[in-house]
Amino acid sequence: MSEQSMIEVQRGSFVQMLVFHLSRPQTYCSLALLSLLVLIPALSGSAFLIHIFVTICVFAALSTAWNIVGGYAGQLSLGHMMFYGIGAYTTSLLVTHFGLTPWIGMWFGAVLAALVGAAVGYPCFRLRGPFFSLSTIAFLEVIRLLSIHFVGLTGGSAGLIVPLKLGWAWMVFSDKVNYLYIAFSLLLLCLGVSLAIRQSRLGYYLTAVREREDAALAAGINNSQVKLKAVVVSAMLTALIGAFHAMYLTFLEPATMFSLGTSIEVAMFSLIGGLGTVAGPLLGTVLVVPLAEMARGWLGASASGLHGVVYGTVLVLITLTLPAGLVGTFGDRVGRMIARLPGGNRRLADRITPSLRQIGGTKGEDLIKADHLVMRFGGLLATDHVSFSLKRGEILGIIGPNGAGKTTLFNQISGFLQPTSGTIAVLDGHGAYVSPNAPDAFARLGIGRTFQIVQPFGRLSVIENIMIGAFLRHPHVDDARAVALRVAQTVGLLDQQDVEARNLPIGALKRLEVARTLASEPSILLLDEVMAGQNQTDTMGMVDLIRAIRDTGVTIIAIEHNMQAIMSLSDRIIVIDSGRVIAEGDPQEVVRNRKVIEAYLGEDFVDAQGF
Amino acid sequence: MDVLIQLLINGIMLGSMYAIISVGLTLIFGVIRVVNFAHGELLMIGMYAVYLLCAKMGLHPYVAAFPVIVLLFLTGVLIQRFIIQPLLDADEHIQIFATVGLSTALVNLALMVFGADLYSVSSPDIRVTVKLGTYNVLVGQLVMLGAAVTLVVGLHAFMQKTALGRAIRATAQNRNAALLMGVRVNRIYIFTFGLGAACVGLASALVSPLFPATPTVGTYFVLTAFVVVVLGGMRSMYGAFWGAMIIGLVDSLSAYYIAPDLKEVVYFAIFILILIFKPTGLFGFGRGTE
Repeated sequence: MSEQSMIEVQRGSFVQMLVFHLSRPQTYCSLALLSLLVLIPALSGSAFLIHIFVTICVFAALSTAWNIVGGYAGQLSLGHMMFYGIGAYTTSLLVTHFGLTPWIGMWFGAVLAALVGAAVGYPCFRLRGPFFSLSTIAFLEVIRLLSIHFVGLTGGSAGLIVPLKLGWAWMVFSDKVNYLYIAFSLLLLCLGVSLAIRQSRLGYYLTAVREREDAALAAGINNSQVKLKAVVVSAMLTALIGAFHAMYLTFLEPATMFSLGTSIEVAMFSLIGGLGTVAGPLLGTVLVVPLAEMARGWLGASASGLHGVVYGTVLVLITLTLPAGLVGTFGDRVGRMIARLPGGNRRLADRITPSLRQIGGTKGEDLIKADHLVMRFGGLLATDHVSFSLKRGEILGIIGPNGAGKTTLFNQISGFLQPTSGTIAVLDGHGAYVSPNAPDAFARLGIGRTFQIVQPFGRLSVIENIMIGAFLRHPHVDDARAVALRVAQTVGLLDQQDVEARNLPIGALKRLEVARTLASEPSILLLDEVMAGQNQTDTMGMVDLIRAIRDTGVTIIAIEHNMQAIMSLSDRIIVIDSGRVIAEGDPQEVVRNRKVIEAYLGEDFVDAQGF
Repeated sequence: MDVLIQLLINGIMLGSMYAIISVGLTLIFGVIRVVNFAHGELLMIGMYAVYLLCAKMGLHPYVAAFPVIVLLFLTGVLIQRFIIQPLLDADEHIQIFATVGLSTALVNLALMVFGADLYSVSSPDIRVTVKLGTYNVLVGQLVMLGAAVTLVVGLHAFMQKTALGRAIRATAQNRNAALLMGVRVNRIYIFTFGLGAACVGLASALVSPLFPATPTVGTYFVLTAFVVVVLGGMRSMYGAFWGAMIIGLVDSLSAYYIAPDLKEVVYFAIFILILIFKPTGLFGFGRGTE
């Protein structure tokens, strides 16, 4: 399907949009396949089939909910059943002791799970991969042991039986097909939430944080807040499913409610289907659960443990052969096939690009005031009482030999390093000087930075990378995309907009750094050696680009080794050597400064030249 | 007072058991940088092997240690060669899933083969009580303490004094630089994983007379071993040893003074607190969350 044959559909009323979305092949195919999950067992009427499909729906829903944390946020929780158990116990205990209907009780469970999720997530998110997983296992074990210990509340190891009051009000039925309807609805809820997150700013932010924490911070993302949102949503969904499943099983015991094995299975279904994809967890469950159930059916109860062997082996084989999972590996191909079906040749018209953020203020006023910045790393003094101010509208060049402390200075004025002593004051939108203390706070104030060592979000496309920046001022996905397209055009990346960033050459990656930062519409732009690795033509292009950006009212600080470029660009130059400012002023003065030549070329050279 | 001292002695004895199990885990994590979630299952394999050798062939558990150490060394070599090595450059979550999957498969395989029954090695001479003044210790526990100290000191000497040990340390510190210096990194990894697994082989021979083998025995021990490794700073043999002693003491004391079924809650709480507030471990030997 080539781009040219796409029919553009104008945005319309709610009903028109609904019709548009329903008539897309992606939508009607998904709905048709999903409905099989209800139709097959309901029409067959077999109690065994209904049980299998309830199990599939429950596990697919659990896995979909897990994927929000484990896939989107990349935080591999192996203790997710703690939320399931909390939902199950809360609901059952409320039914037993207070006669509260599970339909209401499950929400108490969800809120409790959300609180526990936040309490577990907040301290643990700073842990690296396996240690995060281990700490979630530890939390799961603690909750399981406590639920065994407090016999009075939970019934301990002996377990708890749900009161058998039949009917919709009590979520307990003699006709099992009703369970299927509820399980299926829960699955739809989880898929809906998962899809909504995937397609929203939160989904993009979660991917950004997963791929590169630093670049995400520089784009103004509050990393822990974003992850916290994911864990809270995931915990609530998991608790709702747990509540329903308890009513279905009618019996709760700590060993099954807070099971490590089940937590691993739930994560595994996502991996098999494709981590971080919407359909992956469902697909993984649909493929693996019946396989294990059938194996159990054929070989009888004597083969206890068989399904675990199957699960474990499949898991190892998937990691070795298809680490991206089924959807991650084949999803694009299948997606293109589906798009060829009737109705696939239409797309929504792009939104009208939102206008640029207007930058006000008086030219020449101090935007950043850095006062005696000292940064000490152990015995090394990386910046030694550096003071300077940045005036609105200028291009300030920072030069100095390698290791002089230029990037360290950048890291301080963008919040990535807290100076050992000294202060940084930034002019905010209301004319007051503030001192933010985190990189994302600097970004929200309008300080955009690039990284000397490029930090692309490798698995996102070029346009998505730029959108991550654009989201800072434009929360709506369509707006952000429109802004990103405009920026891509400006920096000359439009042709490569759909290329995954990890496949770009270094020159394009440098431009992508600038583009992502530019898309956040900063009032101050910090450029860290954006011309390194560019060829002659690209460098000239970059010089023009930087001038053009300045002309839109953006104030710029640039670190650069390309002397010709920086001298022609800068209104003012600061020279740093060994952490100290050794010269400051007009580019022409600075190049003739004896100390500067000494720093670059050594004393002998200076003497020989007779300066 | 008598109770307290007896509890402290019990704690040290438990600690030496945890030390032997954790040393292998520390070695594998410290050098290969892979968190081996299937470590406990190596112990489980070892314990069933010891059981079979003792029950079917009439070996003494301590004699059975030798073939079991060889068996586990080979198991470790196979795991590293065919599962970990292909995934060395893969994402961290893929490595986690691989060892978690291996663990799940092995636990359930044991369940299929041996069922959920407990298998105990009967060896009355190891369960003989020794009187230390008014306090009691089992012979098997004293052997374990001796073995733990010997193992830690021996491994440390091996790492410091031998060429192979230096190559392992170099690989641990910088894989690429070691590669450039002509170290065959993949072989070092295979040997290290085998060595880590062999430590577990020794552990299983010493643990078998005191604990029955079950499919999930590994899960029980490995979670404790992870607590120990984190406490010890994750890379250091001595760190793991002292971490194990602390957990042994916490185990013994909290079971008596708090509640027997809450002792794990206590050390999991310690685990979480250490990870969050002091990820370099209690003694500052390592850098946990880098």
